[in-house]
Amino acid sequence: MILLQANWDWSQVLWTSLISVVLVFAVLVLLVFIMQAFGKVVTWHRASKPKQTLSLHEEEVAAIMTALKLYKSDLHDKESEVLTILSIKRAYSPWSSKIHGLTQLPDRKF
Amino acid sequence: MMTLLQSNFALESIEKFFGSMGFTAFFSGMGVGNFIMILIAFFLLYLAIKKEYEPMLMMTIAFGMLLTNLPGAGLFHEELFAGGHVHWADFKDGAGLLDYLYLGVKLGIYPCLIFVGVGAMTDFGPLIANPKSFLLGAAAQIGIFATFIGAYALGFTPEQAGSIGIIGGADGPTAIFLTARLAPELLGPIAVAAYSYMALVPVIQPPIMKLLTTKEEREIKMQQLRPVTKKEKILFPIIIASIISLLLPDAAPLIGCLMLGNLMKECGVVDRLSKTVQNELMNIVVIFLGLTVGATATADTFLKLETIKIIVMGVIAFGVATACGVLFAKLMNLFLKDGSKINPLIGSAGVSAVPMAARVSQKVGQEANPSNFLLMHAMGPNVAGVVGSAVAAGLLLSFLG
Repeated sequence: MILLQANWDWSQVLWTSLISVVLVFAVLVLLVFIMQAFGKVVTWHRASKPKQTLSLHEEEVAAIMTALKLYKSDLHDKESEVLTILSIKRAYSPWSSKIHGLTQLPDRKF
Repeated sequence: MMTLLQSNFALESIEKFFGSMGFTAFFSGMGVGNFIMILIAFFLLYLAIKKEYEPMLMMTIAFGMLLTNLPGAGLFHEELFAGGHVHWADFKDGAGLLDYLYLGVKLGIYPCLIFVGVGAMTDFGPLIANPKSFLLGAAAQIGIFATFIGAYALGFTPEQAGSIGIIGGADGPTAIFLTARLAPELLGPIAVAAYSYMALVPVIQPPIMKLLTTKEEREIKMQQLRPVTKKEKILFPIIIASIISLLLPDAAPLIGCLMLGNLMKECGVVDRLSKTVQNELMNIVVIFLGLTVGATATADTFLKLETIKIIVMGVIAFGVATACGVLFAKLMNLFLKDGSKINPLIGSAGVSAVPMAARVSQKVGQEANPSNFLLMHAMGPNVAGVVGSAVAAGLLLSFLG
């Protein structure tokens, strides 16, 4: 605690504001420098690494592409193996109706 | 005789019941203020639900305000936190639900937990790619200290003035964190003002941005940002948390939590934790925070002339912060070469309000030049503003706390 809050006067308020603004800038400017230096190190590190150039012969590329094509075309959709037939309860269905399952004899009319 | 006695007992019981009702309290002396506060709560609920003004927090704040002002409910007792201290001994004598939940605000737990979630949802890539954005984040914090002076001139104590000034940081959790420590009696009005103005960023900022820039300046196209590696993104939160905590220990809780959340997101090995802090933890804390902050807005603390002053000072804080960001961007352009100049509109994003302020920069930029895309450039100052406002809060806390 730099200042005690007992009795503040205008000069203390103004100084606190000024110091605070300067400190906010100082902290964030420090972060700018650190992050810029950090970025430079990362960029330099990336640039200094020998680039791994992958040189493939045209026939090798064609072979890889063909293998990928064959692999992809061989893939099947995976079934979820979940039955989705819903049982529907109806009051009446001719398929399960008892009356259609019985032999119906012709009426004899006397 | 027995029947008469029993009837007296029944009458007394009924009288006692009616006496304990909240409706009865409305017609007594203390009910008028509560009634006005309930109307204010209804208005805020309307703003949150119908107008969608920061609904996540505004709705819970308004409901907390409604609950705390219902006479007789006894959900929140200001006297338990009188004088800026928690009176632990009095908790056993009938503390309400909101009293217990409010401890999270009072002890500075909720804002920090929210910052973990904010960190996990924030991409610091644009800031890492363009560290100069930190300067714009710093410039926008001038609004905080200008308002601090203004609030002191209006008769607030330095602690209260600091809490009012932080509204200019446009960062709700930071405002609540600081106010709960410096001026808890102003928590309700300051939280309502902070979240209202955050919702009004698209209304408050564009006129100031247009006033301070020419059409040519608004049309400036910025260079594409360099790609940022994963290693940089992982090291960034570790570096920032260490440096700021060493420089400003008072800002460590906020910055530490912000960077912890960001590290969870960027390291890629704790996806479950990252998702939890972004969703479940954040949502739970928002409920508790909003409800209890709203609960502090009782008639005694809210219905004062000071509240109107805070509302006015809040909008001034926002305006000054926006103006300082834009003007500082223009100042930076004086020192930058052609081709690497920055569009001054991204300066306004230096007030936190992530990502709303960056979206406003993008929108105003596209009005001037439809082929201009400023969003990613504006995200740099925007997240720098979060760091900047936490630093400013830490400074105010170290000077005034």
